[in-house]
Amino acid sequence: MMNRSGPGNEVPHQSTIDPAFVDDATVVVDDVSVWFGQKVALSDLSCSFGAGVTGLLGPNGAGKTTLMRAVCGLIATRQGTVEVLGVDPRRDRDVHARIAMVPEEDAVPGSLSARELVSYQARLCGVADRSAVDHALATVDLVDVADRALGGFSKGMRQRGKIAAALVSDPSVLVLDEPLNGADPVQRVSLIDLFHRLGDDGRTVIVSSHVLHEVERLATRVVVVVRGRLAAAGDRRAIRDAMADVPRRVLVRSDGDRLLAAGLMILAAVVSVSVQPDSTIGGSSGVTVSTTNAGELALALPSTARSLGVRLREVVPLDDSLEAMFAELTR
Amino acid sequence: MTTATARSGHAWSTRLPALVVYVFRACMPRKRLAVLALPSLVIVLTGMLSQTVTDVEASESFARIADGMVFGLALPLGALVIGDAVLGAEVRSGTLAFSWLTPTRFWELAFARWLGGWTIALVTLVPAAALAALIAGVGDHVGPIALAAAAGTAAHVALFVFIGCVARRAAVWSLAVVLLGERLLGAALTGIAQLSPTWEARAVYVSLADVPDDLARDGIPDGWDAVIRLAIITVVLLAGTAWGLRHLELTGNRD
Repeated sequence: MMNRSGPGNEVPHQSTIDPAFVDDATVVVDDVSVWFGQKVALSDLSCSFGAGVTGLLGPNGAGKTTLMRAVCGLIATRQGTVEVLGVDPRRDRDVHARIAMVPEEDAVPGSLSARELVSYQARLCGVADRSAVDHALATVDLVDVADRALGGFSKGMRQRGKIAAALVSDPSVLVLDEPLNGADPVQRVSLIDLFHRLGDDGRTVIVSSHVLHEVERLATRVVVVVRGRLAAAGDRRAIRDAMADVPRRVLVRSDGDRLLAAGLMILAAVVSVSVQPDSTIGGSSGVTVSTTNAGELALALPSTARSLGVRLREVVPLDDSLEAMFAELTR
Repeated sequence: MTTATARSGHAWSTRLPALVVYVFRACMPRKRLAVLALPSLVIVLTGMLSQTVTDVEASESFARIADGMVFGLALPLGALVIGDAVLGAEVRSGTLAFSWLTPTRFWELAFARWLGGWTIALVTLVPAAALAALIAGVGDHVGPIALAAAAGTAAHVALFVFIGCVARRAAVWSLAVVLLGERLLGAALTGIAQLSPTWEARAVYVSLADVPDDLARDGIPDGWDAVIRLAIITVVLLAGTAWGLRHLELTGNRD
């Protein structure tokens, strides 16, 4: 299941058909284009977000941050509409009590303490519960340093301070732009758990990251933006499976690599075969098989090997990670 | 967070104090305050400088020096430091998002930033102007120059807050407005001077204090009329700032 955006995507709310859309969407992006001067940042992009964690992927300059800022109303769309909780976030100020964003930028008011920043957000969002500030700080493990100036914090601590400020209003929609930047491994695990909990609570959590393996751990759903357009959306594995026209590579190790390579060449599902040389004269370390149909290859490989009298030792998919998928999408 | 957070009524009266306190705590870091100390010092030095002039009366020497140094230079530049800090610097750094991404109304944000900035001017630049008059030995000028400085900085801070939200290089544009718009064009064209906080503030002082007639400028309001003119300029600029905040695009630095 994969969606590639384009002129054909004219019906945006087809959640059961199009994986770019979800049922009970809280955030709907409809045919949105944004450009800055001559630079097109987003182009005819349509998708929606609902409860749970959604990973937003794309290379630098793909338009992820622009999309997140458009969702929060920080920038206006030149074409199309953005609706968050049923309203336009550029026009409806009250909805900002229920949306929160953690910007990617490292900028924080350095002379404020973490507690002051969180309190400021709480007061502007009309949070009456005085314990909410302490609770937000505790959620990101900043209570001990809450009265220290943010300017003296490490990048990871500043990031957590921003997250606490975002959480204090108990938002329904949380937009996190590279929220794990600067966090140490322990904090990353803790924050990923936090985002999971927030998503499980029914909040819409949109997370962008360049650390793809973390998104794999984080997101139940992935939206891929490439060059300002929606490149793919849906479950990570579903996206990969749907890329039928993109060859997948498999490394096969056996006791007869050259013989197996010749046998595999005649299979219809195989696009190319290359024998991986090793340091021994005439030796090999496996066969890299490129296929457009991994399922058919999986069925044909054992029988082909058996008919050739070759013993299979190992079969390793080479490009089943998001990184590889990403590379294919941006190619 | 699993606990539901109760939201109180979103009355501006609960947000405004937080917004103004934020200006004091977040927008004026030590470096800014150090920079702001310079024009304040220049204003105080004006009083000392006028004492060195012995061939005319103290009030005349102070008025002539204050005309150029205080109203023409130190007050606008001091207000620029403040006005840029309370909004333009936040737009550039990206920290305005912390305020923008809240239910705060744009007029509240504009008013609070101006009020916070003007308050800073009232406790730094205005006392410095009054002190300068005292040092110069012209106690009867304290009231007029303090009123002129207060009214002038109100309009100037509003001007620089407005520029901060509509211009990308706010500090440069603000400086251009002061030096080219007010000093150069304002000196030549009465129509510009009528809208210039520098010239109107000067008109307040010149008309209310005992100064030589040749310092008065024809064609622009003076005295309390000038104060009212400055108040109107301030209100119009704040309305423009609220409009600018509504249309502001916080694009950030990276994608």
